[in-house]
Amino acid sequence: MTTPQLQFERITKAFAGVPVLREVSFDVPAGATVGLVGENGAGKSTLMNILGGNLAPDAGRMWIDDEPFAPRSPIDAARRGIAFVHQELNLFLNLTIAENLFITGFPRTAGLPWIARAELHRRTATLLAEVGLTISPRTPVERLSTGERQLVEITRALSIDARLLILDEPTTSLGARETRRLFELLARLRARGLTMIYISHTLEDVLRLSDRIVVLRDGEVVGQGARGEFDVSRLVSLMVGRSLTQLYPTRTRAGVPAARRREPSEVSAGQNAIAPTRPSAHRTEVGAEPSALPSSAPLLEVRGLSQPGVVHDISFSLTAGEVLGVFGLMGAGRSELARLLFGLEPHGAGEIRLEGRALPRITPQSAIRQGLAFLTENRRDEGLCLHASIADNIALVSLREHCRGATGWLDLDSIGRAVRRMREAVRLTPTASNSAPVKLLSGGNQQKVVLAKWLLVQPRVLILDEPTRGIDVGAKFEIYQLILGLADGGAGVLVISSEIEELLGLCDRILVMSRGEIRDELRREVFDRERILRAALHASKAA
Amino acid sequence: MKHAPTGALLLALNNTPLALFAGVLIAFGLLAPKFLTAANAANVLIQSAPTAIVATGMTFVLLTAGVDLSVGAIMFLGAAVAGKLALGGAPLWAAVIAIIAIGIACGTVNALLVTRLRIIAFIATLGTLYVGRGLGLRITETRAMNLPDNFVALGSSRVLGVPVPLLVLAGVLVIAHAVLRHTPFGRQVYAVGADAEVARKAGIRVPIILASVYVISGLCAAIAGLLSLAQLGAVAPTFGSQKEFAAIAAAVLGGTSLFGGRGNVLPGTLFGAVLIQSLESGLVIVNADPYLYPLVTSAIIFLAVLLDSARSAVLARLSRRRIRQEPEST
Amino acid sequence: MTALATSNHEPRTTSSALRLFQSEHLVLFLAAAYFLALLPFTPGLAARANLVNLLATLLPLFVLAVGQTFVLITAGIDLSVMSTVALTSVVGALVMNGDTGWLAGHPLAAPVGVVVMLALGAGVGLVNGVAVSRLKMPPFIVTLTTMMFLSGLAIWLTKSKTIYNLPAAFNALGGSIGSAAAIATGLAVLAHLTLARTLLGRWLYAVGHNPWAAGISGVPVAGVVTAAYAASGLFAAGASVLYTGQTETGSPVLGQRLLLDVIAATVIGGASLFGGRGKVLWALFGVLFIKLIDNSLNLLNLSLFAITMVKGGVILLAALLDSARTRLATVAA
Repeated sequence: MTTPQLQFERITKAFAGVPVLREVSFDVPAGATVGLVGENGAGKSTLMNILGGNLAPDAGRMWIDDEPFAPRSPIDAARRGIAFVHQELNLFLNLTIAENLFITGFPRTAGLPWIARAELHRRTATLLAEVGLTISPRTPVERLSTGERQLVEITRALSIDARLLILDEPTTSLGARETRRLFELLARLRARGLTMIYISHTLEDVLRLSDRIVVLRDGEVVGQGARGEFDVSRLVSLMVGRSLTQLYPTRTRAGVPAARRREPSEVSAGQNAIAPTRPSAHRTEVGAEPSALPSSAPLLEVRGLSQPGVVHDISFSLTAGEVLGVFGLMGAGRSELARLLFGLEPHGAGEIRLEGRALPRITPQSAIRQGLAFLTENRRDEGLCLHASIADNIALVSLREHCRGATGWLDLDSIGRAVRRMREAVRLTPTASNSAPVKLLSGGNQQKVVLAKWLLVQPRVLILDEPTRGIDVGAKFEIYQLILGLADGGAGVLVISSEIEELLGLCDRILVMSRGEIRDELRREVFDRERILRAALHASKAA
Repeated sequence: MKHAPTGALLLALNNTPLALFAGVLIAFGLLAPKFLTAANAANVLIQSAPTAIVATGMTFVLLTAGVDLSVGAIMFLGAAVAGKLALGGAPLWAAVIAIIAIGIACGTVNALLVTRLRIIAFIATLGTLYVGRGLGLRITETRAMNLPDNFVALGSSRVLGVPVPLLVLAGVLVIAHAVLRHTPFGRQVYAVGADAEVARKAGIRVPIILASVYVISGLCAAIAGLLSLAQLGAVAPTFGSQKEFAAIAAAVLGGTSLFGGRGNVLPGTLFGAVLIQSLESGLVIVNADPYLYPLVTSAIIFLAVLLDSARSAVLARLSRRRIRQEPEST
Repeated sequence: MTALATSNHEPRTTSSALRLFQSEHLVLFLAAAYFLALLPFTPGLAARANLVNLLATLLPLFVLAVGQTFVLITAGIDLSVMSTVALTSVVGALVMNGDTGWLAGHPLAAPVGVVVMLALGAGVGLVNGVAVSRLKMPPFIVTLTTMMFLSGLAIWLTKSKTIYNLPAAFNALGGSIGSAAAIATGLAVLAHLTLARTLLGRWLYAVGHNPWAAGISGVPVAGVVTAAYAASGLFAAGASVLYTGQTETGSPVLGQRLLLDVIAATVIGGASLFGGRGKVLWALFGVLFIKLIDNSLNLLNLSLFAITMVKGGVILLAALLDSARTRLATVAA
């Protein structure tokens, strides 16, 4: 069986001017398993989407068996023998395993459009046996566990005689036993000479399964080689990066935050501790020492928060004026935690206290009334009414405050004033009029609209989920300033982010989550990139 | 997440129509023993044939999460044309061909409106409903048409001892069931209903599937119109009126979901149609106020849709992604 | 003057033809153009009697369209309005009529009758609203079912007979053109103020645009959707007051053929089936347009079926227009 040698040659891709892949080049030898590692945003998904035919590169080429490969759709890629097992499984739950596998290629009886069931089940059973799944081909997929469904997806790859199998975070939803079963299968496939690309945050797994490893960071290949050249520490330090172009405001506490570029010499790969750069400023509210954290009475206290299948035993506190970061890789449970805190999902056990008051049953409305605010990670889906005007979006949460009387009559002038005031405060682009739909704004401006919306209700606790995702450098800085300004004003801010740098620059403390639990907590004095990433990768702590 | 209670809940939701049917049989059986005779059963089956046939076509459409509100109008239009031809002296087979052609044509119009012009299904078919009914009224000049005897004979004759309506019903059901269960097309209909986007990625030609189901629905409506015409022997201006309603109810009661991807023709839709017809026949037999029929029917439909929505909500909750395995997992 | 505008502002476009197409007043222009175009061919179109008649039938339809606008803004639909009209007509008549009414001859028969009608309409709307917002049932099937039920109920209550002998005071409400116009205008102003100047109005548009973002922003989504359907039912009852007064009968088949008119008028006027768009003024333009078509076709002696067919075509046209408008709004940048 010939297996392809796959080559990436200077693949480059940018989204809306933001570069995501920069001249990525590496080889996948025939029959090898290549492990692909990198943080969120390193470019792994984009690269795989290009390989799988979902996206086209802006520049660069791909080769399979020394022939050019430029798929225009997933079907093209499939025809060349590429099979992609995504995290979100592409299965039809209402159909059986056999039907899922052969949905576009059913064996027919005598050439007629009549499914030859016996043949269908026979072929499926053979494929399932190869994969080690001893389940009847007639089983509806909805009855399978996640691990079994994943094996069915892999089986589908085999059914189309795939020559290259890409696995994206396959073990995220698997238990120990299912993971073992998966690895046994992968070992068998490897012995058969199937070429594979294995993407995962579980570095030990990557090291165990791969022949070669490629490390991506900020869209570039920063390391590649045979497996023997790597260990967890080396991988972690390669993955950890420094973006030398991002500016972070410093926290002055006394007035307008000033910008200060963080020099590379201050933080080198060797010494990972970041020296505090805050000038000692006089704090009027809490007469504490400059290096101490703000007011000690917690604003938000969470104890033992759990929801089966989602988060487990989450406990932390947030004080007024503090910026608390939450880092984690995809699937760590951070957004789920935020949604629990805001009342969008129910929680099983645990307690949430706001300013000392216990909050038994929380809904978004009661949360807002108590002073909570939530900027979601997907502004287009859950943060904005895209076709509505800028003004309407900004005013939405605070409308109640501008009502006169029981009929809900709105004081349009006061709303208008508030909107104008907030527009200036967030420095929204002056070229867009208040009545323009937010759809037309850039990502950064859209995010500012969402932020403005929440700022108008003067929240005590603000939860921000990926506040700078998909935003250009300049807008990012402005949003950082706003966040710090909020904290200076006495609010507590929870910032969820996948960018370590961002959290290092903004936060007083960082919590690290992985698999629904808090794995580590770091105060500013001991901020350490590798320690953070290690905790997030649920790798063991280095000695 | 507790699985046992939701499993039990799903079981209850899935089997409520069955319980309903049992309830209907018991209630009417007690009130009028005549209800439970074999003769009545056969009668109910024959009377339910047109509804069951329309509902079969509707099942295809509902499986893709669409809807076809124009089926009653298609029945009417087909019947009007056939009646006109028959009265004009045309042979039986010409009338039959005309009806089939109209069904396919109307179905194609619906298909184009939904897949090419991207009009929401219920509005598009609401529009064709009015246009179709208007055309039909034009052809019949808003008068009732009484058909020649050879037509009526068709409706009451028997082949090998089996009444023709039952033969037609059986034919349609068997073919529809076979298509849905045993052909690649049929399985792709279910796939599209489950997730049209995943279907597209898998290489299924989604627009063709979507278009086909509306054509099938039109065809079934036409056949049902033909059967109904033969049974009634006349085309009144209210012919086929509100049949779309009965069709949707029959399908949903039989387990087809309005949200797509779930349902079957045998036994599902047949069962739903028989249930509705039993209800109506039962009401007649117990001499209930005829004005109550629409009330009872709409209450049943409401219940059926409520069950469907509840089941959909439960299933959605069950399939929420888990990101961590709890220690006690198997 | 506040800088705050409503949510229905169109994006800037380059060509003026395109701008016209997207203008709020497109339908008004179309209606006027249609009127002028048909004037030479249609006898009696501009006659005073005809115009008065046009106005009389237009007013109740307008009230219905306003109610439907509330529901359309939330991306729903209310197909049960016509049977709500029928049922409230019948129930009101049962209360008020001089022969067998519950309050026959009583001086308060008319006002109580009106109150009962309005309450019933709102109640129907509440049921629809709860089914859609809390039971999560699809709006079109819920309101289709309610339509069947209410219609059947109305017919059952009256055994298909019409009820006569309604109090003169009541009849005057809808029968006298001045009174009907005042009532319709009053209701329209109420609706407009609610949509444009109250909290509920803003919430309605937000829910229509993006129910998830609205929910996270603290909008009580289920309550708002229920309120929209309740409003639709209430306005249907209001329209029923006018219709019943005009015909001076409580009829279980009142307005049976007008469902299509209501939806077509609201959508043509500019309210979107996809939610987030709709204004009272647009409903007026749409109703004007539909009524003009209706009236002119009648005067041209077109048969009932032709008119039905034309209207079917009109609703398809309306839906196409809606889709086109939505797509243009998405593309324009």
